[in-house]
Amino acid sequence: MNDHKIIIRDLKPKKFGKRDTIWTISLIVIIVAGVIAYIDQLIKGQEVTNMRDYALWGIYISNFVFFVATSFVGSVTVAILRLTNNNWRTPIVRIAEIISLAAIIMAGITIMIDMARPDRLLNLFIHARLQSPITWDVVIIPSYIVISLLLLYFPLLPDFAILKKHFKKKKPKLSKLYGKLALNWTGSKAQKALQEKSIKIIAIMIIPVGILLQTIDAWLFSTTYRIGWDSSSLAPYFISGAFVAGVGALVTLIYIIRKAKKLEEYITDFHFDKLGKFLALACMIYLYFNINEYVMPLFTAKEGEVDHLNELFTGSYSIGFWLVTIIGLILPIIILLFKKGRKPKVMFYVGLAVVIGSWWKRFIIVTPTLLHPFLPIQGVPESWRHYFPSLHEWLITFATLAMAFLIITVCVRYLPVIPIQRTIDELEASKTNTKNTSS
Amino acid sequence: MKNLNLRHVVILVLLSAFIIPSLCQKLEAQNSDKIKIRIKANYTKVIGESSYIDITTSARIDKRNTNIANINLTVFSENDDDELELGETITDHDGKSRFIIKDLNKLLKDTLGFYTLSFKFKGNDIYNKASNDVVFKDANIEAKSFTKDSINYVSATIKDVFLDSLLAEKLLNVNVKRLFKSLPIGEEFNYTDESGTILVPVEEGIPGIDGNLVVEVILSDSDDYGTVKALVNTPFGKPVVFDDTFDKRTLWSSRDKTPIFILIFANLLIFTIWGIFIYLIINLFKIKKS
Repeated sequence: MNDHKIIIRDLKPKKFGKRDTIWTISLIVIIVAGVIAYIDQLIKGQEVTNMRDYALWGIYISNFVFFVATSFVGSVTVAILRLTNNNWRTPIVRIAEIISLAAIIMAGITIMIDMARPDRLLNLFIHARLQSPITWDVVIIPSYIVISLLLLYFPLLPDFAILKKHFKKKKPKLSKLYGKLALNWTGSKAQKALQEKSIKIIAIMIIPVGILLQTIDAWLFSTTYRIGWDSSSLAPYFISGAFVAGVGALVTLIYIIRKAKKLEEYITDFHFDKLGKFLALACMIYLYFNINEYVMPLFTAKEGEVDHLNELFTGSYSIGFWLVTIIGLILPIIILLFKKGRKPKVMFYVGLAVVIGSWWKRFIIVTPTLLHPFLPIQGVPESWRHYFPSLHEWLITFATLAMAFLIITVCVRYLPVIPIQRTIDELEASKTNTKNTSS
Repeated sequence: MKNLNLRHVVILVLLSAFIIPSLCQKLEAQNSDKIKIRIKANYTKVIGESSYIDITTSARIDKRNTNIANINLTVFSENDDDELELGETITDHDGKSRFIIKDLNKLLKDTLGFYTLSFKFKGNDIYNKASNDVVFKDANIEAKSFTKDSINYVSATIKDVFLDSLLAEKLLNVNVKRLFKSLPIGEEFNYTDESGTILVPVEEGIPGIDGNLVVEVILSDSDDYGTVKALVNTPFGKPVVFDDTFDKRTLWSSRDKTPIFILIFANLLIFTIWGIFIYLIINLFKIKKS
């Protein structure tokens, strides 16, 4: 068996095993539970949530911000590594592209879940005010979905052609589907030129679009003049946070996919080491912005801000705040600074801590601020002064997370998670280089 | 039979001797448990508009003065033994009420021209009955504005209506009406001269809508006349120029008044991004055909 065939055999999408089927069914069960909760929310209204007059943005917006942040992985890993010619990116880019697409689709769905009247969704377009950051969000999310889809699709064309050929005899139906998706790809010069040009455009374009997405997400908060959000550095703070969430999610999923699909030969310790350094850099930048966001106000804060900071540092949100900061940020930096800390298994746990920390971080950004309005909370039931998600909110939250995983699972099932053609090309190139060197 | 009756009478007297005082004590205790209501009343006359009495009902509860709501007061006009019921008024949730005097001429007055209005509360299960009165005479302030030697003035003359005599040495306050607290103008103390008149210059540059200022001349809390207020519209103000952004293109205006720079910048971004998307999708078609 030649090298090409070995690579195709290793990287082609494989049928689900028993464990994969159980995983997929579990995701579907969680999604069904969430859909039932959502239907109940539609029938009864938002009263089934614990969102009230003050905590009017709750766990749904935290989820939305988390998904938006995670989707940034497409911009940072794929585009930046591509434009800086980092060849080690090859086995990880497709997984990053899949995460990016799944996350941004779920961000769009989550924001609709937060709407009390989703039937009025069209009004966001019909009555859009271009001055409003919400309108910018309405524009940028579909744009990012399209660009993420294109970023995933263009590099897949040669792989679809390979898979069409590969499955021709064994699975003709699947081969036909891959053939259609391959768009008559033959690998001709004209096709390659068009593909490379398009990928380059997307790689350049996804960086400003990704930054715009994160910036608009931050501006949704910082234009509201609220304690904790009213900051001119909230946009770079969000971008750096998205960097962390995205790379953290990538590290975690790469470890799982590598193990599930037995890709140890392709995704090696070397890749984890590189990703570890990347994640450490992301965490350090984010830590810097955290210091900037929370330490500076200690010197200049007015009374309302002091209350807010006290609530975070020593009050009811302090456990979450310090867990997020120490376990989700400082500890990963320390671990990742050591070579042993950048080994796959350790990286998996670090990535997991970073991802969970990133989600809680969004909750801490959204909720405490809403419970500290400038005017005192008066004349409302005691329960309105606090916020903890209801059962409906939790079920829907887990369902959205499960949906994101299901999109990733389906993609991993039917798409080659490591680019086949590119891996073959790199192998050929390395062989040529070796020959040239030896001759 | 006679003895029996006498015995009954003795028993009855003895029983009464014990029961009646205890009943009286109970009644007295009930009365002493009730809260004492205080009624405060102030007379105000706004020239050319209305005359009214501002009433406040309060009580000492838990060593604190507290205004009492829903106290029904009957208003009487009195003169010696004559009494004329004018109507009823109920205090609001702040313990306040305003009783409008529809026609001063219909009230009873004494030979010196004093009106006496009394306010009576019948009492209820919680509060004792209470009453108070307010005594006042009718006065009139005639205020006008004029300009002399490029200086704007407001003059006001006060007189006793019943005696038809001008009132000298009366302290009048002159203010420009503002949205919240009025702005005092003139000297600190403006006493009327022998002709019952004061003359107050109005400073230039006080802002007013369309340059109009409402100047109020007030005789405050006079023992004889209560509060008498005259309002005069003057054109002595500096016209207010409203910074009205309603029709302007601002970040907070409606969608049809979006600032041009946002329209250009946002549309440029949207069309550039989606234009590139279209170009990329065309490239996909080209790949398929080539």
